[in-house]
Amino acid sequence: MQTIDNQVENKKKIKTFDQKEWIKENLSYKKDSGSWAWILHRITGIALIAYLFLHIYSLSPLTEGKAAFNSKMEQFTTPFFMVLEWFLFAFVLFHALNGIRIVIVDWADGAKYHKPLYRLSWIVGIILFLGMGFLMFSYEIGVLTK
Amino acid sequence: MGNLNVSILRYNPEKDDKPYYQDFSISEWSNDMRVLDILHEIKWKHDGTLTFRRSCAHGICGSDGMKINGKNRLACSLLLGDINTNKPIVIEPLPSLPIIKDLVVDMSSFFLKYEVVKPYLINTTPPPSDSERLQTNEDAEKLFESAKCILCACCTTSCPSTWTNENYIGPAALLKTYRFAYDTRDDAQDERLDIIDTPDGIWRCHTIFNCIEACPKEINITWHISQLKKKISTREI
Repeated sequence: MQTIDNQVENKKKIKTFDQKEWIKENLSYKKDSGSWAWILHRITGIALIAYLFLHIYSLSPLTEGKAAFNSKMEQFTTPFFMVLEWFLFAFVLFHALNGIRIVIVDWADGAKYHKPLYRLSWIVGIILFLGMGFLMFSYEIGVLTK
Repeated sequence: MGNLNVSILRYNPEKDDKPYYQDFSISEWSNDMRVLDILHEIKWKHDGTLTFRRSCAHGICGSDGMKINGKNRLACSLLLGDINTNKPIVIEPLPSLPIIKDLVVDMSSFFLKYEVVKPYLINTTPPPSDSERLQTNEDAEKLFESAKCILCACCTTSCPSTWTNENYIGPAALLKTYRFAYDTRDDAQDERLDIIDTPDGIWRCHTIFNCIEACPKEINITWHISQLKKKISTREI
């Protein structure tokens, strides 16, 4: 006699999605603060690893002496690179502050107030981001003079 | 009020090659109806072949978990007044589980993960002859929230870790581990922690909090998992 389970087994079953389609599922599933924090943490993490290679590459003229290194560093003082560095700081900020949030969630009952923590990390992050922007560009925009 | 539009993911293994969306237009509806009532309306008056699970229809049995408007929830616990009825309501089966027919999914892998964590009391000493195994009120209160789980699988199938790794044990099984590992009457805490202290176990939880959003019983699953993480990383081996 066939059990109901066996009958089901004999018919063809289909998955709503392949395990490979996780990106599609991530895009279609309704996201709350926790999902956004996780997605942004992953993206900033991967971006920072990519930056690490760029960083080592840009330091490599050190092996060719002082003049080569200085001329390389000169490139990074252009406004274009300074804006890029400002956004690099934003990535570091998010990754660091959300990292602290995860530590609080895992070690200090933070799961009970993870949404306020997420909002707080954004508020602190934006304040520090704007503060850093002021420090970096105050000479360029003429608020402070050398 | 105009017609209510519902879009349902249909799949009949005997006829269809792959799932497809079918649209229904419902004329008799009101804001105090539940999504389950709409499914009944469709099955009874529009298309009798629509297949879905439901049993108690009051949010206790946990059989009608499905993905409604992009979020896992119980069809019987969701009022139309609480969702946007101007747009079509999209109803899909729970993600990442094989579809048997329409909204019915094969939950065997979910219950296999549930059995792995030994969801029963392990105590080798015989109970006192004159009474049950007693607990203080404070000890019992630690378990109340985790014991509310109705095994609807909304949490486990809402977890991005489950989507990428089908062997991940999932929030429901971890919650059950908490329920017994923190029970003062249970003797097998170490054994239970060993089961979940594995690469596909508790360390796949990345605190994404989808499980809390999905849980129809509003259990703070991630908090319970964090208690287990703390216990595992501070215990003596």
